[in-house]
Amino acid sequence: MNPEPIVEPSAETKPAKARPRNYPGALVVVEGIDGSGKSTQLHLLKRWLEVGGYRTHFTEWNSSPLVATATKRGKKRRLLTPVTFSLIHAADFADRYERQILPLLRSGHLVLADRYVYTAYARDGARGCPSPWLRNLYRFATPPDIAFYFRAPLGIAIERILSGRPRLKFYEAGADLGLSLDRVESFRIFQGMILDRYDHLIEPENFVLMDGTLAVHKLQQQMREIVATRIDLKRFSTT
Amino acid sequence: MTEQPKTPPKPAGAPEPVEAPAAAIPRSVASLSLPAIRREDLGGNLIVIEGTDGSGRSTQMALLTEWLESQGFAVQTMGLRRSALIGRDIDALLARNVVTRYTLVLMYATDFYDQLETRIIPALRSGMVVLADRYFYTLIARAVVRGIDSEYAHQLYTMALRPDLTFFLNVRPEVAFAREFKKSPAISYWEAGRDMHLSDDLYESFIQYQGMIRKEFVHLAKRHSFVTYNGEGSVRAVNADLRRRIAEHLGIRSVRYQPSQALVHLWR
Repeated sequence: MNPEPIVEPSAETKPAKARPRNYPGALVVVEGIDGSGKSTQLHLLKRWLEVGGYRTHFTEWNSSPLVATATKRGKKRRLLTPVTFSLIHAADFADRYERQILPLLRSGHLVLADRYVYTAYARDGARGCPSPWLRNLYRFATPPDIAFYFRAPLGIAIERILSGRPRLKFYEAGADLGLSLDRVESFRIFQGMILDRYDHLIEPENFVLMDGTLAVHKLQQQMREIVATRIDLKRFSTT
Repeated sequence: MTEQPKTPPKPAGAPEPVEAPAAAIPRSVASLSLPAIRREDLGGNLIVIEGTDGSGRSTQMALLTEWLESQGFAVQTMGLRRSALIGRDIDALLARNVVTRYTLVLMYATDFYDQLETRIIPALRSGMVVLADRYFYTLIARAVVRGIDSEYAHQLYTMALRPDLTFFLNVRPEVAFAREFKKSPAISYWEAGRDMHLSDDLYESFIQYQGMIRKEFVHLAKRHSFVTYNGEGSVRAVNADLRRRIAEHLGIRSVRYQPSQALVHLWR
């Protein structure tokens, strides 16, 4: 038997901050727990950019058609463990990254992503996957130009989700973790764990913290100002 | 990434934290899945046979399974793309040839861990001998020859169990080619590594690709202390070597073995 680990933790597992970018595009991502308002805000940002005539493309988490059947089967039959849950989502992300996100960045698009690698860090980390392992998993992904983190208090976020949804799904509620037999209670605890993980990422990942309790249009105004300041939008103009 | 600091920054009006710090996954659940499981907490034996296409792995797997069962050991096998979760999906993707390299690497990793967690770990827990026809080393070799960083590939498998014994059947690509042609009437796209665009001449492509994989195996053999055999020897001779080594490991006294009628055709 060979009990020692096959690799020492290396410098390469640390977040890649100053990696030179080999593309003319720009990447804006939104992160936050379910019900934090991130998707609404990204949708509004997309509208604004499209109407403004910018080369924009939107992509969302868990949407690769290549991996979809396996993911669906795994969730439906509850075959997924924390490790395979994490890996199958990484495969989904890799497919979108290699065939969509990176080519778009290379061709000078402004790419808007609803959730990015931080979703995996927070959620799979809460499920018990080791942090260095998760960081390595997504090491091929370029760091975004802006990562907005929408933070709403747990109670508000959960209220938003529960009011619009008849039934929480098994993995969504973190029911695989055996946190509680009550699915709503399980969801509450699980989202709290994810929120805690996100909060720990704010500083190391340079998240732009957005107050998810503000009025939608006010928050959107802030978001647009930040995008216009941090990204040279002229470069993406088609007019 | 260092472990995260204990106190999160709290925006104004944040609620009281829920009573579930990130590390507090219930023990009962966490202990059933990786990474909480350690090889030394399980019984059984995990024996791996590695080698390129055409190195004789499958033949040896069949013979060893029969021999071990005849000696009274319960055997569980594993191989690539055999998981209930994603095995068939990988087959379908390979057939369509639309998949990119990181995606494929991660799908194979999913397939590997699914088998490990749902079949292999329970088998080891119940004291079985697990015979693996390829293990994650093949997946590392394939990733590395496609330009993926070796440390990236290795770290994907830091949570996987280390085998107790890993055999490497070392065969030159020219010999492997002849054997593969006996098995099937044409060389497949992936066996020839055609996604790597090495050559339009399929023979040349096969030789180059399998040669690159073999070179990676030689590195891996050093790094992970494989037992290397010359896979070009006769099936009988290689099998005798494998039996001797496994018998020693499992404490089997006799290594005599004559295949049954069903397998005697392999005994040449």
